[in-house]
Amino acid sequence: MADQQGYGLLKGKKGLIFGALDERSIAWRIALACKREGAEFSLSNAPVALRFGDLDELSEETGAEVFPCDVTNEDEIEELMQNVKEEHGKIDFMLHAIGMSPNVRKKQDYKELNYQWMQQTMDISAISLHKVIRYADEADILADGGSIVALSYIGAHRIFSKYSDMNDAKALLESIARNYGSRLADRGIRVNTVSQAPTRTSAGKGIKGFDGMYTFADKIAPMGNPTADECADYCVTLFSDLTRKVTMQNLYHDGGFVTSGIDEQMINDLAKIYADDEGDE
Amino acid sequence: MSQDVESKVKSIIVDKLGVDESEVTHEANFTNDLGADSLDTVELIMEFEKEFDISIPDEDAENIATVGNAVEYLQEKVS
Repeated sequence: MADQQGYGLLKGKKGLIFGALDERSIAWRIALACKREGAEFSLSNAPVALRFGDLDELSEETGAEVFPCDVTNEDEIEELMQNVKEEHGKIDFMLHAIGMSPNVRKKQDYKELNYQWMQQTMDISAISLHKVIRYADEADILADGGSIVALSYIGAHRIFSKYSDMNDAKALLESIARNYGSRLADRGIRVNTVSQAPTRTSAGKGIKGFDGMYTFADKIAPMGNPTADECADYCVTLFSDLTRKVTMQNLYHDGGFVTSGIDEQMINDLAKIYADDEGDE
Repeated sequence: MSQDVESKVKSIIVDKLGVDESEVTHEANFTNDLGADSLDTVELIMEFEKEFDISIPDEDAENIATVGNAVEYLQEKVS
């Protein structure tokens, strides 16, 4: 983690953070990092997540107001943005850390997806990014030169079978970030996605086979999987003025996973595994 | 009225958990028999609250594990 004192990178900045559930959530760690760097912000999550999680604790710790909002419901988003406007006026940064797939949760096989659930996956995990940007803009609360970050995953580009229709949702999320980013660029507002390595959160735990995905990435990535706190530090830089022309990008925060092939250690390990297999035959 | 509560509860469960009505028996456990995860159970409780316009404290919610538990609890609450 960065210096506990922080660097004052977000001093004077206001924001809105979606998706913190409990202390292991990446959004939770990002909120703490934003606080450390001097930002003021509001927190939001779905009513069911507020009941399920511990957001009151984070609110107490950071002094941030909590506004419930179902991000699939346009009326609720509109109301949320009015509340945020009253609280902060304009906001300089927004974090979208929202994702959920009923198909993944119900372990529905990809070839037999429930399409109603798939629509929910897309609406909650991807289209909501469009909606929150749109209604923040319509409420005129997006400050020029601001920064919007949505959390993504490599499943948008490479197939991780247990991630099912969330692979598709993340691809759509990244596309919306680029598409909307191009339309806000003239005001200096950046829109990016951060593709974070598998992270041990409550959401992650809901994915069958998560441990395998985590270990695979951790072994391939030369630096190993980054933690939620390390992701938070990275997001702080994207919210800061130090990254003013970084926009419409999908930015990997994965310890080098995405560009890695195979290293000596793994070649040796695999050789041993297959030698054992042959010995078994 | 009690029949009404039961049918409403069952229809919420069928809708929320995406299960077949025939599976929603009195003894069926949300987690073990109907495939609900921890988030589903919270969603169910909130749906019951909305449908019957009541508030279910967390300590009561923890004891609602089966369809029968839910029906009996809600029948008592709304009577």
